[in-house]
Amino acid sequence: MSSEANQEELQNGTRSTNKQGSKKPPKEKKETVPSGKEVKKETKLGMTVKKNENFGDWYSEVVVKSGMIEYYDVSGCYILRPWSYAIWEVLKDFFDAEIKKLGIQNSYFPLFVSEQALTKEKDHIEGFAPEVAWVTKSGNTELEVPIAIRPTSETVMYPVFAKWIRGHRDLPLRLNQWCNVVRWEFKHPTPFIRSREFLWQEGHTAFATKEEADEEVKIVLELYRKIYEEYLAVPVVKGIKSEVEKFAGGLYTTTVEAFIPNTGRGIQGATSHCLGQNFSKMFEIFFEDDKGERSLVWQNSWAFTTRVIGVMVMIHGDDKGLVLPPKVATVQVVIIPVPYKNVDFNQMLDACNEVSQKLESAGLRVKQDTRDNYPPGWKYSDWELKGVPLRIEIGPKDIENKQVRMVRRDNFEKEDVPLEKVAQRAADLLDEIQANLFKKAKEVRDLCIKKVFTWEDFIEALNDKKMVLAPWCDDVEVEEDVKARTKGDTGAAKTLCMPFEQPDLPDGTVCFASGKPAKRWALWGRSY
Amino acid sequence: MYFPQFIPYSFIEKEASHVEGFSPELALVTIGGGKELEEKLVVRPTSETIVNHMFTQWIHSYRDLPLKINQWVNVTRWEMRTKPFVRTLEFLWQEGHTGHATEEEAEEEALQMIEVYRKFAVEEAAIPVIVGRKSKLETFAGAVRTYTIEAMMGDRKALQAGTSHNLGQNFSRAFNTQFLDSQGEQQYIWQTSWAISTRMVGGIIMTHGDDMGLMLPPRLAPIQVVIIPIWKTDAEKETVLAAATSVHDQLKKEGVRTKVDASEQKTPGWKFNFWEMKGVPLRIEIGPRDVANKTVVVSRRDIPGKSGKMFGISMDPSQLHSFVIAKLQEVQDNLFNIAVSFRDSNIEDVSSFEDLKAAIAAGKWARGPWAGSDADEARIKEETGATIRCFPFEQPSHSGRCFMTQNAAKEVAIFAKSY
Repeated sequence: MSSEANQEELQNGTRSTNKQGSKKPPKEKKETVPSGKEVKKETKLGMTVKKNENFGDWYSEVVVKSGMIEYYDVSGCYILRPWSYAIWEVLKDFFDAEIKKLGIQNSYFPLFVSEQALTKEKDHIEGFAPEVAWVTKSGNTELEVPIAIRPTSETVMYPVFAKWIRGHRDLPLRLNQWCNVVRWEFKHPTPFIRSREFLWQEGHTAFATKEEADEEVKIVLELYRKIYEEYLAVPVVKGIKSEVEKFAGGLYTTTVEAFIPNTGRGIQGATSHCLGQNFSKMFEIFFEDDKGERSLVWQNSWAFTTRVIGVMVMIHGDDKGLVLPPKVATVQVVIIPVPYKNVDFNQMLDACNEVSQKLESAGLRVKQDTRDNYPPGWKYSDWELKGVPLRIEIGPKDIENKQVRMVRRDNFEKEDVPLEKVAQRAADLLDEIQANLFKKAKEVRDLCIKKVFTWEDFIEALNDKKMVLAPWCDDVEVEEDVKARTKGDTGAAKTLCMPFEQPDLPDGTVCFASGKPAKRWALWGRSY
Repeated sequence: MYFPQFIPYSFIEKEASHVEGFSPELALVTIGGGKELEEKLVVRPTSETIVNHMFTQWIHSYRDLPLKINQWVNVTRWEMRTKPFVRTLEFLWQEGHTGHATEEEAEEEALQMIEVYRKFAVEEAAIPVIVGRKSKLETFAGAVRTYTIEAMMGDRKALQAGTSHNLGQNFSRAFNTQFLDSQGEQQYIWQTSWAISTRMVGGIIMTHGDDMGLMLPPRLAPIQVVIIPIWKTDAEKETVLAAATSVHDQLKKEGVRTKVDASEQKTPGWKFNFWEMKGVPLRIEIGPRDVANKTVVVSRRDIPGKSGKMFGISMDPSQLHSFVIAKLQEVQDNLFNIAVSFRDSNIEDVSSFEDLKAAIAAGKWARGPWAGSDADEARIKEETGATIRCFPFEQPSHSGRCFMTQNAAKEVAIFAKSY
């Protein structure tokens, strides 16, 4: 094999342009299953599992083979490779710029929390306590008091808020941090969706009035909607969580809920909480207002995580691999020369360069795949697997006719485009692809929402892998009861949210589960 | 990219000198989710071991090289004595890790990165640094060679501000990270790693700060110009505030990082002190007379008192903008030049151990030809508290005799007490 490679090199006078450190070596790789056990098996380079046949295995396969994730020796922890990390960076850049405009500032609080601080907010710690990882030793010495690793930073930050906030002029205090958190869960880990360590941003803000807090909750939720709908092309439903599902210790939680049709499960996309004065009471965060009276501050916290990437993969990916929305794709266009034996390869390279430059000048993210050790067909599959939205093929006929062939990743439509129109057409196609991905996803999602009035219809829809919109009495016990009655293989049904957009609730409508008068419509489903 | 924070203890143990070097400082997680963990996990002190573990899986042939990755993350080292920014239990940094097919490439990469750090220190942070090679004793646990940028703080102690390591094949041999070269032979890869951390912020504080507080180099200052409106009557307030806002908006449009402090609870004098403490490079004062004359007063943080104040500066947007830009550059240059003079006047060239002892005792750095052994170096540390900061890249043209052993010495080394 090596001498062959050598000869090719000598013939073409080119070196493999593998400079970016291609994450896919030309050899079979061993796969590691999520449970942490190593399974040595020979696998083909492309996808072997079909999305509709075995969604779980399909997902595990696509995130690894596309080069997004690498499994790791610590169960539930994953390596985010550049192909996925770059997406995180796009979203980070967007969100960071937006919150800066709002006057929110970035900061960094410690990773470690003392037990004392962690247990301050009773409800809160009951929510997170079972999932905390503890540092018990340093080097060979046992620590006198074990120290926790942040599962979220309320208990790290709020004691300091109490110190910084004295008077109304110290308000509003609006901070954010981009960091990693650890939640030692035992539920089935899934790359991006549920991992023991993940990256996120957490915003923590304090206000003098509830009105200000309420307003910010809405503004941030809208940013989360944009991330999903405008960047990741994933439709979400905005709503408020039930008392059972809201953030442990908060006043109310607003959420953007997505839905994975293949599994019939809802997934919490991102949350924006109003903590009310619950935490300020516990952490004694008072301020003196302009009348000299002492009040507790009103607080919010809000976060989105690397989970968003998983949702995008699940919604758009297909049997060939990832399908990346152009707005977040690291590589939006890949240019592949199609060489022929009698054609001067340098001429091909020149043609590729020319097109690449045109596209780059138009602000597009382009890559040329001129590796000489792979045939074009292999490259097509490889970049399809990686989900690159647009492929441009340049063969000898194309050079002759001064055109290129463009192929869309989302619907595989091909078209020949004259050279002088190449930049404009590529940009237009990328916009079309972005819009098309969202449109298709929304159509599918909309079909997955079933509106019901009765328990029987509710169960039927649930078993049909749907989200169910049902009139509800908004009672904690009733929700717990529904959960108990619907325990199944894919988990019990719960409220995903009470959508902001409520359909008409005719007078006298009763709750589908309890028969009591219905207060509002709630979206129910099994969930991640 | 992003590697997990938890490292199985067995990984750390793979590279002998690495585990020896880091072992006492490792934070170990033994309980997760209420259960005792099967294998104790280390909270990363640095990521070479995980990186190598993965490089072994990703690198198979020379075509997979060079492989260059970077991550911006937090790391944890359970230090005994801490100091904000300079030495903290947890700190933020970037760590780059690269794998190469040849020793030459790795060496080139390591040198390239220390130059990037040097450039940042000098051009952005206005901190003069000496670039050099660490002694064997001071080299990163597991590296073949460590390059460093050394800065002198206000108390004349040295601060290692950034490092770049040529790891050779130490980790690749320990982790079996091999590649098939173009001749068809299996080789171990050659690696580098390099990092700069939030310690640099400490460096900026300690290099430029003075008795009034912080002094931030304009290139890095979050607020470059603070605008203080000054008024006595309500009528004055309106016009002054309007002028202040206008000046702010104009400067902001041109990319200057600026802020108006119009709070009414504090006097102008209080505000002057406050923003000086915060290290803001330039202050613009606008009072009623300034508004009338369409001028402003500009004060430099780096020149105290009247000498730093410039009166009658035109409020005309383009003129003010050019003025501000020019002054910011002057402040940046001035901070750097002061730091250079300070540092240069506190390095003594020594030709004997006695000279070195005197220089160190006087709080200075000592520079002298060195050909001593590790034991000699350790002795100096024990007797004076000074360590070799580096063998600077910039060497005098003539060689000399080691000031300690009198053997022929090819290079001079720099000794100093350090953070």
